[in-house]
Amino acid sequence: MDSTQLTTLTGVIDKKMNRQLKQYMDICARCAICKDACHQYVGTGDFKYLPARRAELIRQIYKKYFTKTGEFVPALYEARDPDDNLLDELYDSTYACTGCRRCMYYCPFSIDTAWILSVAKAILIAAGRGNEMLGQLADAALFKGDNVEMFKDVIVSGFKDIEVEVQEITGNPNAQVPVDKQGADILYVALAGAHSIRPAAVIFEEAGANWTISMFEAANYGFFDGDIEKARLITKRFIDEAKRLGVKEIVVPECGHAYRVLELFYEAWSKEKMPFKVSHILEKVDEYIKDGSITVEKGLLTGTVTYHDPCQIGRNGGIFEQPRDIVQSLTDNFVDLTPNREQQWCCGGGGGIVAMEEFTETRLDRGTQHTPRSGYRCTSGHRPRGRSDAAQGQEAHARIDEPRDREPQRGTLRGAPFASSPDSDAQAAAYRTRLGSTARGRASNHKRISQ
Amino acid sequence: METYLWITSVWGIYLTAVVFFGGMAWRIYQWATTPKSPIRLGMFPKPKTGAGRFSKMLTDTFIAPQSFKIEPTMWLFAFAFHIAALGAFVGHARLFREFPILPELLGEAGMNSFAAWSGSIAGIIMLVGVLYWIGRRTYGPFKNLSVPEDYLLLFLLLGVIAMGDHMRFVYGDIVHAATYREWFMSVMTFKPAFPAKLLESNVGISLGTHMLFTDLFLMYFPFSKLVHSIGAFSSNLVRSE
Amino acid sequence: MSDETKVDLELDLKGLLCPLPMVKVSQNIGKVEVGGVIRAVATDPGAMADIPAWAKSTGNEVLQAEKVGGEFVFLVKRVK
Repeated sequence: MDSTQLTTLTGVIDKKMNRQLKQYMDICARCAICKDACHQYVGTGDFKYLPARRAELIRQIYKKYFTKTGEFVPALYEARDPDDNLLDELYDSTYACTGCRRCMYYCPFSIDTAWILSVAKAILIAAGRGNEMLGQLADAALFKGDNVEMFKDVIVSGFKDIEVEVQEITGNPNAQVPVDKQGADILYVALAGAHSIRPAAVIFEEAGANWTISMFEAANYGFFDGDIEKARLITKRFIDEAKRLGVKEIVVPECGHAYRVLELFYEAWSKEKMPFKVSHILEKVDEYIKDGSITVEKGLLTGTVTYHDPCQIGRNGGIFEQPRDIVQSLTDNFVDLTPNREQQWCCGGGGGIVAMEEFTETRLDRGTQHTPRSGYRCTSGHRPRGRSDAAQGQEAHARIDEPRDREPQRGTLRGAPFASSPDSDAQAAAYRTRLGSTARGRASNHKRISQ
Repeated sequence: METYLWITSVWGIYLTAVVFFGGMAWRIYQWATTPKSPIRLGMFPKPKTGAGRFSKMLTDTFIAPQSFKIEPTMWLFAFAFHIAALGAFVGHARLFREFPILPELLGEAGMNSFAAWSGSIAGIIMLVGVLYWIGRRTYGPFKNLSVPEDYLLLFLLLGVIAMGDHMRFVYGDIVHAATYREWFMSVMTFKPAFPAKLLESNVGISLGTHMLFTDLFLMYFPFSKLVHSIGAFSSNLVRSE
Repeated sequence: MSDETKVDLELDLKGLLCPLPMVKVSQNIGKVEVGGVIRAVATDPGAMADIPAWAKSTGNEVLQAEKVGGEFVFLVKRVK
């Protein structure tokens, strides 16, 4: 292959090299225990989605260019150049990965495949093979950040529309979605969509919080794309905003990777200490319920209710109990899925995969493992496969029917009756749920009394 | 015969010692001098204290409870293999000196028969383990994951174990630990010599071949994936960072 | 003006949440010729900033971004 390209790509590995990566490269025994951990491999049976295989592609380059044995006897390790063949497969296996890190959980050596794939993304970007859609999303976010004035009016007018809805929901004509509020305690960084602003606004309003909303969105497509410099700049947009407004706390919405980027990555990227606390909206809601800032009404949710741990705030973020406490303050019929918490399956929609059309099949073809295994039928965020009515997916909350069969059905995974579709309506319903129902409970109860 | 033994079981040992210890030191040096990731790669829930992290690391490394949960069969074979390998390793310490206490309790004959039993069991478990892995690698749905390195290591291990078992099962009653110890200590003290008793029996071929495979196996060890034997500790520690 | 613009492709993005309206426009822009126009209707207010920002950063042109009732109507021209 072209020697300039080769130098560029091996240079990426060299630049990204650290102790963890080196060890991951050196110690993987290819025991393939990770095969049952990955929803995409279990769902599709496609070799390229086997976690150890995804990492193996990077290892093949590493062995050839970073170890003497691989340099002299490449055949022993199947070491090879990052040529078109390798990059083609690497593109699929890397951008399809949702970064849930379930394989790391089960690996006897705790090898972080997602971390290896962050190097893979850097290689792909250097080869001009980064994901185009994620790249565009990242660039658009950066463009907005660089040209705030150009977009300020439309963004603020969007907030004003939501403000009207918040006033209707809370019954408070003075309710606000404050923008650019100097001296606010909390900067809430939502997603661009109203679905992530409205419910939080209602809750902040009801809790009487001194808050303000960010002009920017928390979603970080630079991170998904694997361009760390862009990811840092995208985050920096609202870090600077938070500093300017002098807030004490940044609250991020449901967006799991946004929480992880802010809580675990940003300080290392920017080499500066953040002068404020980082909270996830679910932590905040739980806090408000527990300290009495908002009250919720039990019983508005009917049927059995569960909670599906999102990977980035659960296994990768450490928030397990607060969301359960919130749900349990709303219902007595809470049931945990099997598995749950740090062992929970990926919902299938992480890593920006929803934005990448080429992986739609992979995303939907996986079968939802937790559903058949736990014996519950989950109707929120999941689209019944082979049926066109989305009604079931639009349930206002994660309702689960009675267990059909508690026995794990490993053999039926590929033919699982449901496929997850963290898509559009169903997702919206799920989002509304987590926040909206809390707020509705509050609105219909406490507010009326206090008026 | 004597030449074969001199190559594999004297000079081979010296060469292996240099390559193995040098290679492992080089490997550790490389790891130690590569800067750590500034980003914490741990996952939750994680122990709050240093001691908690350390004990979780030990559990994860030696017991791997998560791996057991997801694939009990594989775990069982792997665990049995490693325990048997540890047992065999400890048993080989008799090459340096006789165990304390045990011989007094069991008597010389009792000690030899205890060694025969434990050695045989360990030898069989290891053999079964290696055969299981060869099968798993060759016939599993993920067989394409295997690279020649995997088979080379399994082949060398198979040689080590098969010849070790051969010595155990065929010559177990003829040549005992004391004879091997005489040879091994002579190598260790740089006055290599083969005891007459060893040369008189036909065990030389087995010993020579056992050592040939062992030499090759250990010389390749530091440059193979088997460095997980030391790397797993630090990579598992990263899990709770 | 918008009434006179020849539309080559209609996209119904109602109900989609950000950033999906932008994603769909991006995925479909290749389906019209250079100089062609997509008319997209979204309901998520975030699209009002997203789609123009996307167009600016990819070198395409938003001819119109308007709120009509509860909907947001865009005319996007493929420039390259």
